[in-house]
Amino acid sequence: MIRLDADKPAEFCDGLRRRDFLHAGSLAGLGFGLTDLFGLRALGAAPAEKKDKNCIFLFLVGGPSQLDTWDMKPNAPIEIRGPYNPIKTNVPGIEISENFPRMARHADKYTLIRGMNHTAAAVHDTGHQMMQTGRLFTGGVEFPHIGCVLSKLKGPKGDVPAHVLMPHPIGNTGGNMPHGQNAGFLGKTFDPFVLNADPSDPNFRVPDMLPPDYLSALRVDRRKNWREMVDRTVSKFETSQDARLMDSTFHQAYTLMSSQKARDAFDLSKEPQKVREKYGLNRFGQSCLLARRMIEAGVRFVTVNMFETVFDEITWDIHGSKPFSPISCYRDLVGPMYDMAYSALLEDLSSRGLLADTLIVSTGEFGRTPKVNPAGGRDHWPQCWTMMMAGGGVKGGEVYGSSDEIGAAPRDNPSNPAQVAATIYQALGIPLELELPGSQGRPIPLVERGTEPLKIFS
Amino acid sequence: MRNFLLALALALPLFAADSLKILPPAATLSGPEARHQFLAEASVSGHEEDWTRHAKWSSSSPAVAAVDQTGEVRPLTDGVAKITAEANGQTGSAEITVKAAAEPFQWNFRNHVIPVLTKAGCNQGACHGALAGKNGFKLTLRGYDPEVDYDTLTRQSVGRRVSLLQPSHSLMLLKPTMAVPHGGGKRFDPNSLEYRVISEWIAAGAPAPADSDSTVTGLEVYPASATLKPSAEQQLVVRARYSTGEVKDVTRWVKFSSSDEGVASVDDMGHVKMNGFGEAAITLYYSSRVLYSRLSVPNAAPVDPAVYTTFQRNNYVDDLVVAKWRKLGFAPSSPASDSTFLRRVYLDSMGVLPTAEEVETFLSSKDPAKRTKAIESLFSREEFVDYWAYKYSDLLLVSSKKLRSNAMWAFYNWIRDSVKQNKPWDQFAREIFTGSGDTLQNGALNYFVLHKDPIDLTENVTLAFMGQRLTCARCHNHPLEKWTQKQYYQMANMFSRVGLKNGSEPGDTVVFAKASGDINHPRLLKPLAPTPLDGTSMSLDSTEDRRLPFAAWLTSPKNDMFARAIVNRIWGNFFGRGIVDAVDDLRATNPASNEELLAALTKDFVAHGFDTQYLMRVIMNSSTYQLSSEANATNQNDNRYFSKYIVKRLPAEVLLDAMSQVTGVPTAFANYPKGFRAMQLPDVQVKSDFLAAFGRPPRVLCDAAERSVEPSIAQALHVINGDTLNKKLSAPEGFTALALKLGLSNARLLETLYLSAYSRYPSDAEKSAVLGALNAVTPSTNTTRQKQVEDMMWALLTSKEFMFNY
Repeated sequence: MIRLDADKPAEFCDGLRRRDFLHAGSLAGLGFGLTDLFGLRALGAAPAEKKDKNCIFLFLVGGPSQLDTWDMKPNAPIEIRGPYNPIKTNVPGIEISENFPRMARHADKYTLIRGMNHTAAAVHDTGHQMMQTGRLFTGGVEFPHIGCVLSKLKGPKGDVPAHVLMPHPIGNTGGNMPHGQNAGFLGKTFDPFVLNADPSDPNFRVPDMLPPDYLSALRVDRRKNWREMVDRTVSKFETSQDARLMDSTFHQAYTLMSSQKARDAFDLSKEPQKVREKYGLNRFGQSCLLARRMIEAGVRFVTVNMFETVFDEITWDIHGSKPFSPISCYRDLVGPMYDMAYSALLEDLSSRGLLADTLIVSTGEFGRTPKVNPAGGRDHWPQCWTMMMAGGGVKGGEVYGSSDEIGAAPRDNPSNPAQVAATIYQALGIPLELELPGSQGRPIPLVERGTEPLKIFS
Repeated sequence: MRNFLLALALALPLFAADSLKILPPAATLSGPEARHQFLAEASVSGHEEDWTRHAKWSSSSPAVAAVDQTGEVRPLTDGVAKITAEANGQTGSAEITVKAAAEPFQWNFRNHVIPVLTKAGCNQGACHGALAGKNGFKLTLRGYDPEVDYDTLTRQSVGRRVSLLQPSHSLMLLKPTMAVPHGGGKRFDPNSLEYRVISEWIAAGAPAPADSDSTVTGLEVYPASATLKPSAEQQLVVRARYSTGEVKDVTRWVKFSSSDEGVASVDDMGHVKMNGFGEAAITLYYSSRVLYSRLSVPNAAPVDPAVYTTFQRNNYVDDLVVAKWRKLGFAPSSPASDSTFLRRVYLDSMGVLPTAEEVETFLSSKDPAKRTKAIESLFSREEFVDYWAYKYSDLLLVSSKKLRSNAMWAFYNWIRDSVKQNKPWDQFAREIFTGSGDTLQNGALNYFVLHKDPIDLTENVTLAFMGQRLTCARCHNHPLEKWTQKQYYQMANMFSRVGLKNGSEPGDTVVFAKASGDINHPRLLKPLAPTPLDGTSMSLDSTEDRRLPFAAWLTSPKNDMFARAIVNRIWGNFFGRGIVDAVDDLRATNPASNEELLAALTKDFVAHGFDTQYLMRVIMNSSTYQLSSEANATNQNDNRYFSKYIVKRLPAEVLLDAMSQVTGVPTAFANYPKGFRAMQLPDVQVKSDFLAAFGRPPRVLCDAAERSVEPSIAQALHVINGDTLNKKLSAPEGFTALALKLGLSNARLLETLYLSAYSRYPSDAEKSAVLGALNAVTPSTNTTRQKQVEDMMWALLTSKEFMFNY
């Protein structure tokens, strides 16, 4: 909970009450206009949309097994079909695993994409890169996360950052490669705002979002002005990107601090307990709830990492042996956690009239081996998996693409990460022929020419 | 007529060449199928141009060897011929020897068929080279195991893949030409050389790979380096050297990639296009061997050569760096001021700021050798020992996460003692790998407690001490690296007999050499002879502690990787960037920005007995290290060639200590004595919001990227609102309170703060601005005066000049 200290006014030596800080005009209205700050104007004129489209990207770190979740093969031999049974959904003909009873009641809202596949090495990190940037990193080029591209092209709306990543960035998943969660060649200015806190923590708050009790608003303001004055007298940092980035981080910090709206958006205590429970009182559930509050406050893109690593934590990465996870966790922990949060998010956005303008993407980095391994788990399998898209103009109640009889390879409408990126850009109203500025100004296409978005919109 | 000639002259490619060379200068073509590409490479006023495509090519003996107008030579009869290229009035030639032109020829599985499959992409990770294969057909990744692939192609799928009776009906030909449906699409044409190689090999009875096949021992590339004009194009020629002594053109079968697409891009046939300024490495991969060609385009704006000749050269570092600047068209920044120099060497070598007193003494000294003397004085400081002990603790992952407190201290104390004695780096490593016994007695042995698994040991040791990344080779030959899976398991087997048992008290472990135990190669299902990467194998039956020959090999002066790795790390500490970047990625495919420099430093370091202090002395005394960070018109974009000092944010621990130092208020760390600096902590598990926000490494992975020095919003919020700095400013025992007690004037206050925070006196402009701000209000009470001083100090300690080393 953010320390909204307006509740307990305290007197300061300079005569100002602490609550005054919250209303002090001196810091307000800075805006989050980093694009303007450095004269980095958005490239190309994206057509003015009547209504902005936003995106929540749920990254199911570890890689869910297609066969135990949303692409069941009940007629396959036991070593293929695994331990779970299919159940019917509210859309005739669509069945999913019994581990997701709540999702089954919302099948009319999402589209299952069952022919997902990628062709890079079967390690977590490659899939992280490709699903979030549309590309595998080669030739020394780090491509930007889709949310960072949006941040660069459209900038922030109001006092909140354009792109928020929560609760933590993806950490070590074994490959020692970048995970595609920052702005890459667009520059660190467009990196997401990283929450770095657990929204399910009873003391959750954005760390250091407000001045301590002993600092008055006047003093915070005086310090800010004096710091700028001290900095102005030296010119040696002008060519350093890191130094400019530091200026922008201070600027953003002051903006966050001085915006009531931004502070409220991060304040989960403003949600009724019943709503919090519906999402699940765990890190992922509360992150999804916070994601909804972010979208309501004007954040354009929210990335939620369901897990931070695949080691020594129960995740989708069901190799069946330590330090990874057992297949049973889909029934006991990971499945229910996702089922609750995802269903609550769909329901909530829908009842608030936000679903039509908010695309919800959920995917892992790959699927899992059709055959159950000797440890009773399944290993990495980028050749075939299932992901979901909902809202933001996605038709819903559909299955797009299919897999073969054992879920080993796509059959109809195979879909790849580049196409998913193109689909997200399309939903967000960004023209696919746009070019982004690479190093030394070399234009880099938003998506490779000729990449076809998936036909899943109504 | 004059005008016409002038126009003609202008139409010729740029200027007359200083010389035209044919690359490579000579070649032997052996057998009727040998082909060889030649290049017409011109040197034109200090740069190179590729004239291959518009030169006129001819052969002195067309009956011996024919050359076409692209520069490709074909053998006809045995003998010798001279190949000549003529362009723009210049000629160059190469000598060709043709051998065995009329002898029967047979395509070889290992040396011809596998390269075809590799180049066509059949065995890449995305296709049949995937761990699980594709559609029931699995090849080894990029053909690293020809025997297995031969078996897959000829024995499995009952002769459908290779049909000896009707070669053209082999799936191996039908699929890639799309004569039958192929998920991977069309890979080559029935009229291609690729098709001919495979079909003729099948027609000859699909001979198996044999132990007597020649194998590739190395690669060579032409040109190995070149300086080109903006937007220039350049063809590359790659040759393989074989165990038989033969050298053959394999350009067509090489896999190419660029280290920086912004500078240069390369197509499948090795044709390079320069896209921007700077230098790029074009990486070549053929038959598990890698090499690169360095191509550069200098800055457009010319630099006066006097800049280089008059540059103050203190040692060989400066000579080698200047050579690079000259090549790329960078002019160095001016020398750093005495203030900047002093602050920089203190921060970079021992992580503390000079005190106001030290600054004043240094600035007032007239001694011409004062910089060298200042550098010399650093090595005896306790803070120097703390700083490097911390750095090496990062490297060796010292932490109480996996070690009990007593064991962690034993490990840390051994590291700190080593730094204090200036233990040579080879001895430092040897002590870890040759020791046995009690880990509380011999702290170095805790390395084996942290890395209990031989696989972990293999991967972390090679990364920490040699900058080699072996992880990919655990499952297959590294696709863009020279280490094979076989070498990986040979290496891992060196560590399969490290025994650990509980010692006399909790936290104590006894490390000993076990008499038995091996690690199996996962596919061969048997142990391989223990071998340290490219070193000599030992017998599986030997009872010697396997770590001993490993340590001897690792620290041998002949093992270039060992010295290079630490030299690059130490250079990176001072310059904010390694000569190879990332600082711990010394793969053959990740070239140094200045190879000559790294090679010279490495040689010098080894020649001086692996003395790290000697190396630091060379680095800090160079003019290059003492350059200003302010850019000039030519080097604004230089972040690789050290023509200016790269501005860098202070590491988390250094920044925290600097704040403590200037405010006079130490940071309290739970369970550590009062006054302990962050840089003295042996552990990264000590809780600190400040250190967490500013990127202290968790010491979980051996990876230089664990430490982050990038600014973030969380850091800004923490210094604005967090307790760490704010409490230091208001502490009753701190500088603020003292300044008040002493009744310092604003002018004196400002001067003291500038000296202690920025190691310099305030400028006139600063005096007028900052003093102006302070003088604008006369505080009515002590409390308001205290706050005024606190706020000014806050502004100084969060400014860029404080947070950065520049």
